[in-house]
Amino acid sequence: MTDLHEHELHEHLPAAAPTGIHRLTAPGWLRVLWVMPIFFGIGLGLPLLIRWLAHWDPVWKGSVILTVELVTVPLGFLVGLGGFDYWAYYASGKPTLVDDHASHGAKSWRDYFRVNTDHKVIGIQYVVTTIIFFCIGGLLAMLFRAELAQPGDQYFNPQTFNVLVSNHAALMIFLFVIPAFAGLGNYVIPLMLGAADMAFPRLNALSFWLLPIAGVMLVAGMVTPGGGPSAGWTCYAPLCSHQPLGQVFFNMGVQWAGASSIMTALNFLVTIITMRAPGMTFWRMPLLVWANFTTSLLVVIATPFIAGSQFFVMFDRVLHTHFFEPGGGGYVLGYQHIFWFYSHPAVYIMMLPGFGIISEVIAVMSRKPVFGYRLMALSLMAILVLGFSVWAHHMFVAGMAGWLRVPMMVTSMVIAVPTGIKIFSWLATMWEGRIHFTTPMLFALGFLSMFVIGGLSGIYLASVPIDIHASDTYFIVAHIHYVLFGGSVFTIFAGIYYWFPKMTGRMYDERLGKLHFWLTFIGFNLTFFPMHYIGLQGMPRRVADYSSRFADVNLFVSIASFGLGASTLVFLYNMVKSWSHGERAPGNPWRALTLEWQVSSPPPIFNFDEIPQVVGHPYEYGVPGARHAIFGSEHPTPVTSEPVGTG
Amino acid sequence: MLRRVRRGSIFQLLGIAAIAAVITSLVAVLIPWLPNPASEEAKRIHFVYWFTTVICIGVFATVAAVMAYSVIKFRARPDDDSDGPPIHGHTKLEIVWTAIPAVLVTAISIVSAIVLAQNSRAGSHPLVVKVTAVQFAWKFTYPNGKSYGYLTLPKGRHVKLDITANDVIHSFWSPELSQKQDAVPGQHTHLVVTPSRTGTFPVICTELCGLGHALMRSHVTILPADKFDAWVKSGGQAAAGPPGLAVFQENGCGGCHTLKGVPGATGTVGPDLDNLKDAAAKANQPLAAFIKESIVKPDAYIAPGYPNAMPPNFGTQIPADKLGQLVQYLEQKAK
Repeated sequence: MTDLHEHELHEHLPAAAPTGIHRLTAPGWLRVLWVMPIFFGIGLGLPLLIRWLAHWDPVWKGSVILTVELVTVPLGFLVGLGGFDYWAYYASGKPTLVDDHASHGAKSWRDYFRVNTDHKVIGIQYVVTTIIFFCIGGLLAMLFRAELAQPGDQYFNPQTFNVLVSNHAALMIFLFVIPAFAGLGNYVIPLMLGAADMAFPRLNALSFWLLPIAGVMLVAGMVTPGGGPSAGWTCYAPLCSHQPLGQVFFNMGVQWAGASSIMTALNFLVTIITMRAPGMTFWRMPLLVWANFTTSLLVVIATPFIAGSQFFVMFDRVLHTHFFEPGGGGYVLGYQHIFWFYSHPAVYIMMLPGFGIISEVIAVMSRKPVFGYRLMALSLMAILVLGFSVWAHHMFVAGMAGWLRVPMMVTSMVIAVPTGIKIFSWLATMWEGRIHFTTPMLFALGFLSMFVIGGLSGIYLASVPIDIHASDTYFIVAHIHYVLFGGSVFTIFAGIYYWFPKMTGRMYDERLGKLHFWLTFIGFNLTFFPMHYIGLQGMPRRVADYSSRFADVNLFVSIASFGLGASTLVFLYNMVKSWSHGERAPGNPWRALTLEWQVSSPPPIFNFDEIPQVVGHPYEYGVPGARHAIFGSEHPTPVTSEPVGTG
Repeated sequence: MLRRVRRGSIFQLLGIAAIAAVITSLVAVLIPWLPNPASEEAKRIHFVYWFTTVICIGVFATVAAVMAYSVIKFRARPDDDSDGPPIHGHTKLEIVWTAIPAVLVTAISIVSAIVLAQNSRAGSHPLVVKVTAVQFAWKFTYPNGKSYGYLTLPKGRHVKLDITANDVIHSFWSPELSQKQDAVPGQHTHLVVTPSRTGTFPVICTELCGLGHALMRSHVTILPADKFDAWVKSGGQAAAGPPGLAVFQENGCGGCHTLKGVPGATGTVGPDLDNLKDAAAKANQPLAAFIKESIVKPDAYIAPGYPNAMPPNFGTQIPADKLGQLVQYLEQKAK
């Protein structure tokens, strides 16, 4: 406690602003301007030098140089911005300033544009960045829906169409859903645990700054001369090894996003395991923390596989290896096995944190304890374990070993059981509650209903014979959007609205929030539900042109998708307006028990002025006198059933 | 918790569930979700589909009813700051909603596994048709060695498709036959179909295979057994027209190129072949040599405004005599 106060004193000391030449050498955007070109030179010079020394012809090989540049230039950016300063000082034996919190917390908007070690700043950096990429990804979708409004070629040639489709998926998955959850988790987890920050704040800052790198790389790939990546986000070999140059941007962009994801997951794991407040046992952790704990395990175990798959495919192209080239003895299906060994668990990486958000929102808004708390936590662990045994259900028609189909079908079916437990427990949590239909609760209910539909269409797809008919059709497109939009995106919106008062210190506009929900909910269903039909009837996915008998439905879907896209404008307007002009938020507007609501909104720079002592469960709504935590100065005997806000 | 649920509310709950079930059933029945099946395999797949649908309607109606009931009944008034009853769980209920879904998905798995086994059975004397996929065309080769760009099958006989690809992954699918299988380069995969209805149905590629993917279409014609035998004897109808046209069709050139008077040749990925004469003049080459080079070595000259997208392996795939016929045919059309 005394430590915290000392920290705060340091924090108030004005950091000496760099002057003169030091402005160029101090970490920041000015340093980026000259460090990045140096690293560009290294990336250019190294391959040229090696090729020249080895007498390889030609010395100038664009694809090799580009590959090296996509490693060196981002490194230069990170070095310039100051992502490695502390470690470089430490490694070289220079004195490091342990108590210097100059890079902690945000006093002006400029602090969001530098390497900042405060998990609350990083959380907001993450969420804002991912919303930007959500908008870009959505615009891409609306562009190709315009093309699909009629059969035949109208606006885009097949190359451009494939680029739009591939990048829509890649941006939404790698730059929106996964990091948006990482951002919300970043903001909330240390607060929920009663910790001052994440376990590794500098690693946390670095893992955020990898994200814009990955995003810029994927977007840049689209406008590469010669054509962008157009092999789908799944990037199947051998098609993807013969793509235009833009494909390398895709392969490398996924690496940077993956590295960011792994670093954050490690940070979450260590934070959750080691930094819980006194009394916060595993069985007293909020379910959001449980959800991020299991997700982080998934990320750490699975993400290296997609890194491998993208490296191998890129090596086939750049280094002329034959991992997946049948002509050179490669195994084509090997790519899919490695890819899906990540990308199926990735589905849960994109869903479990959402489950956590929904548990928080439903319990608080229904004023009842989460029904079957332990089974809720255990079902997350069950999904984690089972999630690694179902990857080949993406490959039922791929031509893999025939015997593998039935076991993979059974495990895929069984995973419906823990998922069902969660759905039924949420329903039981609402039962007999006092339900407040705030915007986060509406999104939670929207999630619940849409995710049930997505889960049931998942049962169809788990059944091998039905999957044989429906695989690679619009039925799949409908299913994944019910799971990832109706599922993940709705939970992200629920989370953003729920913690908006905590993050910004202001309330969002409830009327606009509800309008946003209804526009999104209706637009979503009108866009994606008809896709089940055209898919089963015979329309394959990823086609710019289609049989004229699907014209009417596609026109309908396209119009609905523009409406869905427009609903985002309501969200953006609400966020911007409320953040600048919203009503001041109290510390605990939802009367919630979890720790993040027991401090002011926004929280103090080191979260807690006093270390909380956790004395009970996080969801004891309706239990007379129950407390989740007490603060140092308080007498440990609980006096009231109402949660106490210290803000 | 169960004790608290009054009889009246049980009836209301069941009422909402019944309404939800009826609406969902109407959506399931009134919309023709699946194409009219044209194979025994498709019929079995449809059975699994309906079996699953019945279970899913039950699950959906239950969830929808509980949710609708809660939304209506447990809505808090704006000034109501009270908490709900502190119910932490109910072990029996939790066992029930773990066990029932487990039983249901097990039932679907068993039915699916049986149908999968049946649908993989080709009998002892299947008609074996070799399917070769290339960017962006299908080639179907019969036991007598003849190849066509479209598929013709006999009704009521087991057919085993022996599928492979020459360049990238493709996927064979006919919605009416339901069966689907990827064509993988360097590998032979198999698919069993037993046509049960005569007619002509689309064959489409369902795995993204490059720029012409959307146009990689063909069709399957199912003939009565006697007519099919006659078709085999007659050597098929592909002989009609100049031999070069057959080569053009077989290799799916029309997927990417437009050529007037050839059905299906409306592609726009590559240059319009009606303008070959001008293109040859622009490239400053004699017409025949230009056509041949463009097929065998497509990246030697890229028509302005078009991507370098033509597969480079047609030179090795098309036998020399057929290549000659194709070049001659295109040359004549262009003059």
